[in-house]
Amino acid sequence: MGIAATITAPAEGPFFQGKKSVEPILKTENLWKLYRAGKVDVPALRGVNFAVQPGESVAVMGPSGCGKSSLLYVIGGLAQASRGKVFVDGNDLTSLSDAARTRLRRHKIGFVFQRFNLLPTLTAKGNIAIAQFIHGDGFDPHRFDVVTQLLGLAGRMHHKPSELSGGEQQRVAIARAIINEPKILLADEPTGNLDSKNSEVVLQMLRQLNKDLGQTIVMITHNPEATTYFDRVVHMRDGIIVDGVPAD
Amino acid sequence: MMGELIARNLLHRPLRTLIGVMAVAVEVALVVLIVGLTSGLLTETAKRIEGIGADIMLQPPAASVFLGFSGSPMPIKIGERLSEIKYVQSVAPVLLQFNSTGGVDVIYGIDPDSFRTVSGGFVFIEGHDMEGPDDLLVDDWAAKAKHIKVGDTYKLLNHDWHVAAIIEHGKGARLFVPLDTLQDLVGARDKASIFLIKCTRPEHTEDVMEEIRHTLPGYTVRPLKDFLSLMTSTNIPGLQAFINAMIALAVCIGLLVIFLTMYTTVIERTRDIGVLKSLGADSSFIIRALLSESAALCVLGIFAGVGLSYAVRAAFLAGFPTLSILITPGWILRAAGIALIGAVFGASYPAWLASRKDAVEALSYD
Ligand SMILES: Nc1ncnc2c1ncn2[C@@H]1O[C@H](COP(=O)(O)OP(=O)(O)OP(=O)(O)O)[C@@H](O)[C@H]1O
Ligand SMILES: [Mg+2]
Repeated sequence: MGIAATITAPAEGPFFQGKKSVEPILKTENLWKLYRAGKVDVPALRGVNFAVQPGESVAVMGPSGCGKSSLLYVIGGLAQASRGKVFVDGNDLTSLSDAARTRLRRHKIGFVFQRFNLLPTLTAKGNIAIAQFIHGDGFDPHRFDVVTQLLGLAGRMHHKPSELSGGEQQRVAIARAIINEPKILLADEPTGNLDSKNSEVVLQMLRQLNKDLGQTIVMITHNPEATTYFDRVVHMRDGIIVDGVPAD
Repeated sequence: MMGELIARNLLHRPLRTLIGVMAVAVEVALVVLIVGLTSGLLTETAKRIEGIGADIMLQPPAASVFLGFSGSPMPIKIGERLSEIKYVQSVAPVLLQFNSTGGVDVIYGIDPDSFRTVSGGFVFIEGHDMEGPDDLLVDDWAAKAKHIKVGDTYKLLNHDWHVAAIIEHGKGARLFVPLDTLQDLVGARDKASIFLIKCTRPEHTEDVMEEIRHTLPGYTVRPLKDFLSLMTSTNIPGLQAFINAMIALAVCIGLLVIFLTMYTTVIERTRDIGVLKSLGADSSFIIRALLSESAALCVLGIFAGVGLSYAVRAAFLAGFPTLSILITPGWILRAAGIALIGAVFGASYPAWLASRKDAVEALSYD
């Protein structure tokens, strides 16, 4: 499709510039996030301008403490912005109530964390099913099969997290994050707790999700090699995006 | 799915779950047994009084249905005036005496002949009727509980009695002695605590009572068949309040343990709560999940509590056969309801706390 696009619309230039005519699925405008530590406000984000197109995969890099996680939490609606705007699929998160933000997160966002964060008492299947249950559409066996096949988890569904390897746990977490077909998958250092072999498997799968299913992905990483699996890399430093200037 | 989540969570910490279940079980059993014991004792006493076989009981003015609490005895002469009333077939004076050695008993001092005509007589399981002044009649339950046999010497009210007979239970008291001897012993010569009256026909009960009220104004007159309905805890001053206080105490135990159980659960699952929030669970989902878990714990506790009630009752009845503990479905349901409300109430603060947790902080909790 990319080739066809460049051929039929050469005037629009390279692939992702061509996509700019489409509304971004995610956009922030002068986004600030302040944390209150005692009596002083600690700025974690200091005017972030950031946009992601539908179907794009973006890696976010930057030194520790530069605000990457904060950015992810705010655009995922888990934390509230202090100033500025966040648009997810056309909705301004900063104008929404807590309940409305929760609803939006439920329907449009999937999270993957460094520490897997599976519910320890449920099996792999239960962990995925509970996401469907919270989403409210009930258990969809077809989607379930597609996702577990894709992530190579078919045989591991009845095991508890403690009986799975780190790589398997993270794949279950990814399955849980995408089971409800979110508009955006947000991943915070998903390979941070994995050895290089498992990291590679997880990154491969994320790329496959992006390429085969058109899943929009924003991933934080410290691993420069990981960026090769992504369409674009964004660098952060001191709470702002310093595009083009490598931060690490 | 919610059910699976709750079941898995409860199984995840079996000991904690067990403690929570046991606390609710104790709560339920305490309520059921306290109520069962009081209503059992009252019903049993009332039945025994009804079982005397007389139609009417005369008591001193302002006397209680609880015979042991009756005021100062009446002159025995009143009996003669009662026998003169139309339709009265026979009158039996009884002197009541509390005895608290080896449990609480009421001893009836009776005149064997008049008591026999009023009540239709005892059924003798073993032995013979009162003959001497020290003869004691014991009912079968008391005999079993106190290991008394015919021919034994039994000490009661600092007096040595000769056990003349074991009689069938259900005639008012469990211990009967001759009226004269008891009067002498307690210094109540020519006195009686109650008069039992038998009418020529039961239909005349109302008329006779009316006539007694007329001849002896101010005295307490009751038909014996009313005792069952009169003997309730609300008729004993303070008893209902005591029962309520005991129930409140039991509920407090359940509430506190449920609170602690759910509170530690919420702390322990801080990160899981953050995860649920990241999946889009709202406050109501979190609250529902935790309240349901507490309710599930409570339901397990209720079943255990009912079982515990019956087990405790069986154990007590084995040791104290004269004890009567009445376990009714009504009170099991009420105890279950009380426990359930307590469980939801006890879990509501932890659940609210969980629903208010900051998702990001919860996710970084170790
Ligand atoms: N809850 C908080 N309260 C106060 N300050 C916070 C809080 N969370 C983050 N910060 C601060 O905000 C800044 C950005 O933190 P953030 O976690 O977003 O960084 P990061 O880029 O994800 O770092 P890392 O690579 O180590 O995960 C840091 O200076 C951090 O100390
Ligand atoms: Mg981080």
